[in-house]
Amino acid sequence: DEEVQVWQNKVMDVDPEEEAEFDRELRSLMQESLDSRKLEPRSRLSLNMAIPMNVSVGPTEDLHGRKGLESGDETLDEEAGGRTKGRKEVSVRVLVKRGNKQRSKQLYLPLDCSLVRSAKEREAAEVEE
Amino acid sequence: EETGGDDEGFEYGKGGYAEHACRYCGVTNPACVVRCNVPSCRKWFCNSRGNTSGSHIVNHLNHNDLKPICIGDLDQPSSTGMTSLLKCCWTDAVCAGDGETFPCTSLQGGGEPFGAFEFVRAKHKEVCLHKDSPLGETILECYNCGCRNVFLLGFISAKTESVVVLLCREPCLSVNALKDMNWDLSQWCPLIDDRCFLQWLVKVPSEQEQLRARQISAQQINKVEELWKTNPDATLEDLEKPGVDDEPQPVVLKYDDAYQYQNVFAPLIKLEADYDKMMKESQSKDNLTIRWDIGLNKKRVAYFVFPKEDNELRLVPGDELRLRYSGDAVHPAWQSVGHVIKLTAQEEVALELRASQGVPVDVNHGFSVDFVWKSTSFDRMQGAMKTFAVDETSVSGYIYHHLLGHEVEVQMVRNTLPRRFGAPGLPELNASQVFAVKSVLQKPISLIQGPPGTGKTVTSAAIVYHMAKQGQGQVLVCAPSNVAVDQLAEKISATGLKLNKQSSLVMIMLDLFNNEMRRLFQIKPNSRICNKGVERDTAESTAQVVRLSAKSREAVSSPVEHLTLHYQVRHLDTSEKSELHKLQLLKDEQGELSSSDEKKYKSLKRATEREISQSADVICCTCVGAGDPRLANFRFRQVLIDESTQATEPECLIPLVLGVKQVVLVGDHCQLGPVIMCKKAARAGLAQSLFERLVLLGVKPIRLQVQYRMHPALSEFPSNSFYEGTLQNGVTINERQTSGIDFPWPVPNRPMFFYVQMGQEEISASGTSYLNRTEAANVEKLVTTFLRSGVVPSQIGVITPYEGQRAYIVNYMSRNGALRQQLYKEIEVASVDSFQGREKDYIILSCVRSNEHQGIGFLNDPRRLNVALTRARYGIVILGNPKVLSKQPLWNGLLTHYKEHECLVEGPLNNLKQSMVQFQKPKKIYN
Ligand SMILES: [Zn+2]
Ligand SMILES: [Zn+2]
Ligand SMILES: [Zn+2]
Repeated sequence: DEEVQVWQNKVMDVDPEEEAEFDRELRSLMQESLDSRKLEPRSRLSLNMAIPMNVSVGPTEDLHGRKGLESGDETLDEEAGGRTKGRKEVSVRVLVKRGNKQRSKQLYLPLDCSLVRSAKEREAAEVEE
Repeated sequence: EETGGDDEGFEYGKGGYAEHACRYCGVTNPACVVRCNVPSCRKWFCNSRGNTSGSHIVNHLNHNDLKPICIGDLDQPSSTGMTSLLKCCWTDAVCAGDGETFPCTSLQGGGEPFGAFEFVRAKHKEVCLHKDSPLGETILECYNCGCRNVFLLGFISAKTESVVVLLCREPCLSVNALKDMNWDLSQWCPLIDDRCFLQWLVKVPSEQEQLRARQISAQQINKVEELWKTNPDATLEDLEKPGVDDEPQPVVLKYDDAYQYQNVFAPLIKLEADYDKMMKESQSKDNLTIRWDIGLNKKRVAYFVFPKEDNELRLVPGDELRLRYSGDAVHPAWQSVGHVIKLTAQEEVALELRASQGVPVDVNHGFSVDFVWKSTSFDRMQGAMKTFAVDETSVSGYIYHHLLGHEVEVQMVRNTLPRRFGAPGLPELNASQVFAVKSVLQKPISLIQGPPGTGKTVTSAAIVYHMAKQGQGQVLVCAPSNVAVDQLAEKISATGLKLNKQSSLVMIMLDLFNNEMRRLFQIKPNSRICNKGVERDTAESTAQVVRLSAKSREAVSSPVEHLTLHYQVRHLDTSEKSELHKLQLLKDEQGELSSSDEKKYKSLKRATEREISQSADVICCTCVGAGDPRLANFRFRQVLIDESTQATEPECLIPLVLGVKQVVLVGDHCQLGPVIMCKKAARAGLAQSLFERLVLLGVKPIRLQVQYRMHPALSEFPSNSFYEGTLQNGVTINERQTSGIDFPWPVPNRPMFFYVQMGQEEISASGTSYLNRTEAANVEKLVTTFLRSGVVPSQIGVITPYEGQRAYIVNYMSRNGALRQQLYKEIEVASVDSFQGREKDYIILSCVRSNEHQGIGFLNDPRRLNVALTRARYGIVILGNPKVLSKQPLWNGLLTHYKEHECLVEGPLNNLKQSMVQFQKPKKIYN
């Protein structure tokens, strides 16, 4: 509940060699994962990606009164501890499956995230048309 | 019956520990952590980078965890005729086959390879979000195919709606049919980006949270990941565990975080606990003669003499002992545990037994007694350190960083200050005391240094009074010893006398742990039961002071017995309708209750206790007592610890981790510190108090400057040597002059002298201590002279640093004392350490050490000399060998001081003469 100003030299530089090693490992993990899936036959893959009706019908405004992605409304994020004042977010619904049931949950995305940026570009393009 | 260990089944410090804490850094925010979903792992990690390349969860997933996997016996055909792969016992990674667990001898026993095996990467690739995170408990998986490999997952959004889903990159993202649907595949946004999880999905802990978390390095991560391969439950603390013969890590001034703090102190506390256990359990005594008695509470009491040798710890009331009888032709073997309720002047121990049935009361000889060691206090220290580390609410952020030695921007407490700083019922405060109270009330952390006789307790009581008046909730007041708690509690209760009579200043003193109480704590209290009683008592009695004590001390009489909670509970509700009271009476009459009544009685008692505790303004207890489970649900923003320089750091932490925001440490680092029995732990710095470390870190203690104890001639040397000459005298020579006392002080108006002794020191019979016969003989002569001149025994204290000499003096006086034996028995002869915090009118100090080449041992510690010199109010006599003592710079200074004032004397007491003894050159002061 209170702010404490701590003066401490905590920033220890990450060893560049360690960082490079870390990246190598991570990339090999990604590649390994990709390779393992590429071997799987694609033909048998069924598509199950329909957006359930009730998601878009559901409340378009969340508790904070922030509007959905397509509205493009920009609101200040005030609840994130006050430190991130000025950060801008939009609300989206994340679809997840639990068993066969689809569910959706509200989440906030920063405006500068690639998902939001591409949506904006798409919108702009549509408007031009 | 005997109840087992008091702390059974109770885990200390569990309160703040979250299962979902990041296993690297301890961050617990549910929005910031994910669980690794491999069944053999299931550990939680956060999305903060700390000082490493990637976030903690990515670090974990990225850990190069190669596991050997047995691919089974190729010669064993399955039912289908195909070669099957048996399930490997080493890892649950994919193994085809019949699923049977198979001993993998090639890997585990190191014998002949059983079958083929290869190394594969362990599959830590699935994660699950926390149930309290924005998305709730969700395993991250591809919306289309259910693939859970986080390295393949990414988000896509719908073209026309604000809907996003996770989709795997291979194969789902590359399926053509999807492009025709409502999804925008051009912007697939990978789940792991820049070596972190997407921050809008798994939040990065705030800067505050990260600062307060454990600072873990890449090396430590590697080490602990290695450790998890063989011990999945290993913690980072296990990395630091020293080997048996290792010297423990010494304490330092500053700690990166509370985990490092814990890593340093936990092994030291363990060492001390082990030593204490070993010491106490080795104190078995056989062939004791018992005198049986029955106490007022109808409990069986055994009296016996507990022979004490000089290297051993003294028994104190409350200690637990086991009395045993091995049995004979008529009596079966018997044993029972009991509590020491008092120690008689004849060094006889009174032990109240728990069980009254089957006691062989017709036998008097052949009993044995052992000490029952309890780990309670040490467990509580360990628990407090754990809480300090894992529970962010245990202390305020400011205090957290301050205690660890981080540089924190100065904070003031915004409180309206009282108009006057004194408190009702207490003496008027002097300028330095007022200054202390005033500054303390405005700061989150303060140190008050109270040199001997400067009114530390009064100042503390005034502070507590004003804090309680601020209405920030209950104030917690602690001290390491019961004696100090009692003293302070009495002063605080004095301020309550003139408080508003309607409001109650209730104090509870807790000390030892009480298992029964803890169990009862679970029972839902019938909270109405004692309300009336409380109100009535408040209105009627002037001092509302309650002492809540553990069973072991409940039977022990205390100077503030009327303040104890168990006393109040018993006397609280006298209305006939009270069931508790009825049961209490029944119990008193019969000595015990039926089991159902006993159950009811305990639950009512528990409820009553809780009621009283919660209505209190101030709670007083020992530092260890603050860890009593009865206080577990209490929060204290304001904590004052008296005599804090006599507590170890972890001991001090116990009262602090109950939510402190403002802390006052009172003490004097120029007097003796905590007693540490284990040399290893002491060497590593466990004997340094928190107060002292804060002083070393640059926190300036507020010093009380006026002493009201010593004759001005007696305070001069201590003031100059220990307090930079700042100690002022609040008493005059006249106030410390005793008329009618005819004692041969060499200089009138200077009631002090150094009595030169040349007798040799000897090693005591036990071989572990020293004595000095000449000094002992002269102590007797001095005591006799004092007694003859009209001083009464209670005014005299004989101090000696060695137990061997203490025992010898007691013995010598009672055999050779010129006056009535009884008079000598009433004179307190004790160590410097046990005189700390107390005073006597006259002090005789016997230094003992007198040898050609050896050191002066105990006397070397300046703080011990300070304490020894500052106990006397009216006069002091020091007996010692100046030739030996003068080698030490401080003693050299003392001897010079006495010589300059013509108080260095020798010869018979009725004809003291200035001594011309030559001092030795002091060894260099290292500084
Ligand atoms: Zn894992
Ligand atoms: Zn972490
Ligand atoms: Zn997929």
